[in-house]
Amino acid sequence: MGKADRISGFFWLIFALIIIIKSYRLGLGKVVEPGSGFLFFWAGIVLGIMSLVIIISTFDRKKAGEPDKPILGEISLGKIILVLAAVFLYALLIETLGFILVTVMLFVFILGVVEKKGWLFTVLSSFIVTSAAYLVFKTWLQTQLPAGILGFLKF
Amino acid sequence: MDTLSGVIYGFQVALEPMNLTYCFIGVFIGTLVGVLPGIGPAGSIALLLPTTFRLSPVSGIIMLAGIWYGVMFGGSRTSILVNIPGEPTSVVTCMDGYPMTLKGRAGPALGIAAFASFIAGTFSIIGLTLMGPLLAGMALKFGPPEFFSLMVVGITILSYLSSGSMVKALMMAAVGMILGGVGMDSISGDYRFTFKIHALFDGIGLIPVVMGLFGISEVLVNLETEIEGTIVTAKIKNILPTLKDWADTKWSIVRGTVLGFFLGIIPGGGAIVATFASYAIEKRVSKHPEEFGKGAIQGVAGPEAANNAAAGGAFIPLLTLGIPPNPVMAIFLGALMIHGLEPGPLLILEAPEVFWGTIVSMYIGNVMLLVLNLPLIGLWVKILRIPYFFLFPLIILFCLIGVYSVRNNAADIVIMFVFGVVGYLMRKFRYQAAPLILALVLGPMLEEAFRQSLITSRGSFAIFFTRPISVGFLFVAFILLIIPIITMRKKAPVDGES
Repeated sequence: MGKADRISGFFWLIFALIIIIKSYRLGLGKVVEPGSGFLFFWAGIVLGIMSLVIIISTFDRKKAGEPDKPILGEISLGKIILVLAAVFLYALLIETLGFILVTVMLFVFILGVVEKKGWLFTVLSSFIVTSAAYLVFKTWLQTQLPAGILGFLKF
Repeated sequence: MDTLSGVIYGFQVALEPMNLTYCFIGVFIGTLVGVLPGIGPAGSIALLLPTTFRLSPVSGIIMLAGIWYGVMFGGSRTSILVNIPGEPTSVVTCMDGYPMTLKGRAGPALGIAAFASFIAGTFSIIGLTLMGPLLAGMALKFGPPEFFSLMVVGITILSYLSSGSMVKALMMAAVGMILGGVGMDSISGDYRFTFKIHALFDGIGLIPVVMGLFGISEVLVNLETEIEGTIVTAKIKNILPTLKDWADTKWSIVRGTVLGFFLGIIPGGGAIVATFASYAIEKRVSKHPEEFGKGAIQGVAGPEAANNAAAGGAFIPLLTLGIPPNPVMAIFLGALMIHGLEPGPLLILEAPEVFWGTIVSMYIGNVMLLVLNLPLIGLWVKILRIPYFFLFPLIILFCLIGVYSVRNNAADIVIMFVFGVVGYLMRKFRYQAAPLILALVLGPMLEEAFRQSLITSRGSFAIFFTRPISVGFLFVAFILLIIPIITMRKKAPVDGES
């Protein structure tokens, strides 16, 4: 984990520095009446020190001759990126297109494009799952789900 | 209200048809989640939390509690039959449960796991019934310094007991505290760490973070490898344990129950640690330790008792002190607050129907679980045939609906997305999510207790060290922080994983 720890250690160190600066600007207050930034200033200091411990320990291990292992291993990121893109687009489109349309699109994308299942299975499953989810969450549990551009239809 | 009156009142509440129905739904979903790998109790409770908004608080909390102890009950099925733990708390059960299946003893393994779970679960609820009111009475004497110190020790214990590096666990606790501070400061009215992003003005919600770290990241990790639907080929017969099985396991169940219950109570302790500790103890006290790993029935009974006892014990600090001892209880804390309840020592006085109704529903739920898990075992193993390519979009959809419906805000989905990526990377870089979640929930409470303490003492930190309970908690935290430093100096590297 040497290389991985070095990268993550630096990431958290920068994060800690940002928090320390932001907290200081917020105001540390007095000990009698701690300010908005007081506790987070110290949380940032602790995080920064711990990050340094992680970074320094990786150099110790490097000296000891420990080999660096690959961080992500031999995995294909394609599927993961596609699924993440689908989730992000879902967030962007849910209020405009509405729950029903965007959910059908999500399932068609994941089953048809990501998993490469047959189109009949993909389309049928997408409509069945979306209908079932709508009935359970919207009709039965009365969850607020956006109607979007299909708002003119009364279900 | 004394304990007996409380229990009688609890039965009146829990036996109402509506509450019985939601108790059943809870334990049913819990068993389902326990059987299915890929979604855990934290994710599923967070997922179903919005569905309880339309219910009365007591029905909602009864259902969510049912999911929690249902998961503990059902998690062992797949460990025993196919060597795949449904939950992390059932990892240990694989060690001897699966070898028992290979020897043709799947039935007794499932049977003893179910009975051990039932017995331990019931005893832990009795413990909760008796100790809950006592502890709540004591906690009424706690002031801000005691609560501050208790939260510090809780976060420290969780970091200490985390599976990987303690340094990394403490880092995640610090990150969780910082994230808990995002949004408006309730005392000064200042906006903190919002970076002028509108979605952060109300703070970072617990549910999107939990769904991202536990739900989405779990799916992403599973997408790396193709998980096929599993078909159980083992024949399941003789589920009822024989007299010899009972004789072999009775003390294992007792030890597992006691250990699990107390580890469940300690903030930061929990069911996973309890199962490993129980297994180690059983192996040590056994006259035939060489049989462990090859199908020793004690290796199934002890850990299964331990994780179910811990599930009940975990409610004690939450219901009596308002302190969640683990991430799942942190979500419960959020659930209670959303339902307008104030978890802590006053809960028993202000909402006795929730306090006693929930506790008593667990007795009923445990009986339901025994019925669901023994005769219907065939049904549960069939669920394993659902292929993952169909299961994971469903999990994602539940996460999306769950997150959106809390505040009807698409920005929460973006927050979940971000924490999904962060959670995936945290797994790759070996950082634990549990300390982050606990600190995210405790952070604002800890800050309030800290500031109130200093205002009361007029700026003197001595207030934390002159009050006996507070100094006791801080002493424990100090010792836990010192131990790894001493041992690290002697031999281990910082990562601690070696």
